[in-house]
Amino acid sequence: MESNAIISINRVNFYYGAVRALTDISMKFRKNKVTALIGPSGCGKSTLLRLLNRMNDLIDGTRVEGEILFEGQNIYAPDVDPVEIRRKIGMVFQKPNPFPKTIYNNIAYGPKLTGVNAGDLDALVEQSLKQAVLWDEVKDIMSKSAMNLSGGQQQRLCIARALAMKPDILLMDEPTSALDPISTAKIEELIEELKKDYTIIIVTHNMQQAARISDETAFFYIGNLIEYNKTEKIFTKPEVKQTEDYITGRFG
Amino acid sequence: MKWRYLKQHIFFGMVRASALIITLALGGIVFYIVYNGIGAISWEFITKQPTHSMTKGGIMPAILGTIYLTIGAIAIGLPLGIASAIYLTEYAKQGRIVRLIKVGINCLAGVPSVVFGLFGLGFFVIFLKFGSSILSGSLTLGFLILPTIIGASEEALKAVPQTFREASLSLGVSKWQTTYRIVLPNALPGILTGSILGVGRAAGETAPIMFTAAAYFTAKLPGSIFDEVMALPYHIYVLATAGTNIEATRPIQFGTVLVLVAVVLGIDLIAIIIRGYMRRNKRW
Repeated sequence: MESNAIISINRVNFYYGAVRALTDISMKFRKNKVTALIGPSGCGKSTLLRLLNRMNDLIDGTRVEGEILFEGQNIYAPDVDPVEIRRKIGMVFQKPNPFPKTIYNNIAYGPKLTGVNAGDLDALVEQSLKQAVLWDEVKDIMSKSAMNLSGGQQQRLCIARALAMKPDILLMDEPTSALDPISTAKIEELIEELKKDYTIIIVTHNMQQAARISDETAFFYIGNLIEYNKTEKIFTKPEVKQTEDYITGRFG
Repeated sequence: MKWRYLKQHIFFGMVRASALIITLALGGIVFYIVYNGIGAISWEFITKQPTHSMTKGGIMPAILGTIYLTIGAIAIGLPLGIASAIYLTEYAKQGRIVRLIKVGINCLAGVPSVVFGLFGLGFFVIFLKFGSSILSGSLTLGFLILPTIIGASEEALKAVPQTFREASLSLGVSKWQTTYRIVLPNALPGILTGSILGVGRAAGETAPIMFTAAAYFTAKLPGSIFDEVMALPYHIYVLATAGTNIEATRPIQFGTVLVLVAVVLGIDLIAIIIRGYMRRNKRW
């Protein structure tokens, strides 16, 4: 997995106050692949995801050791502006969280304020919504509040909002756990489509989902990376007993 | 079993009685003011200057003065209060210093208003040489309502879901832009709701403006913020305690009280309308 790594994590420890949440993690994420992070609740997979775009900075009393290289640069180096990192590494959250603004303004918000891709906003909004397969459903109600959309539509809107920044990487933190099966299927199709242009790292509690959509899977347990391999390998012939126990549903 | 049931009834009865007493007290006061004051109200009363040593004529200068002072207090208290609340909730590292500042703000809320008046006299009127003026009075009143506005703003800012902040920051939008574009607009209806209380208080206060802004009587209307003004609360105080003919001006006193209550309600109403307007599309 040495080739075309877009993110390399080197010996990272992470602490919430005195509590160590991640222990000596080293791994690489490959470009234009879907990588799934799985493991029982509290295993550190979401914490790891939020380390990648420095969202954990928002929590007081956290501390990072080690380095995370994004395109060769340590994103935790003192001279790095986390705001710049987040422009290139977008995020979709567990619960759809559109702004209480119009559909149009939800998408245009990031580009407008950051000046990124702000040349032709209308075209960008349309393109982003099309990428998120939401355009046909909302093109006639662009000036309506995004809060009126269904949960599944809201989540695709949030994906479109992240895509409008044209990031290199899309982080997804259990993006379908609050959605019904049909909306979930739509998002999974979308992920399949998006990986042509983006690197996607997704945290999921749903093992079938990880098996369906990811190319690589990493299994975490109590802050440790237990096993990381091609998804089909993990789900057919895991090397570690704990991984096998988890994916066969013996615990977790 | 029966005794428990009875206890419940007694307790509910007490709670109901408390609510009723408060409503009756409020209704009684309002009725008393309207009953005694309505006779004095006329178009002339609210649009004309006082005449005959303030025993006849209108109270227009006092109405205008109170409106000026209230607007001034809002103009000073609101931006300062919101800015402080933003600092305390969004930027400051939560810890001992922030706690200390918050205790200080709460203490400020408990300071008697006459102390604010004396501070205004010493600092704005004399030290900064603003004189007894709209500016000095507005600054004093603005400081008086600051704790209320900060408290209300803090609550409103905290009520904005964290997920909005995260969503904005995750797009690579800076913290300040997130605060300004997402957090503040969503908190503003709440900020205004709370600030209404402070503003109503500012409009009705006598002590803080007594030394800093209010004139016993001025023949001319203020031409700038450095002029003295008449103000409704002080006018009432003057008529009721130091007027040329206290007994004869009773109807005018009640009329003035009624106008003051109406002005305060009017200010509240404007804020409620603005809030309602801003709340559209802001449900989450």
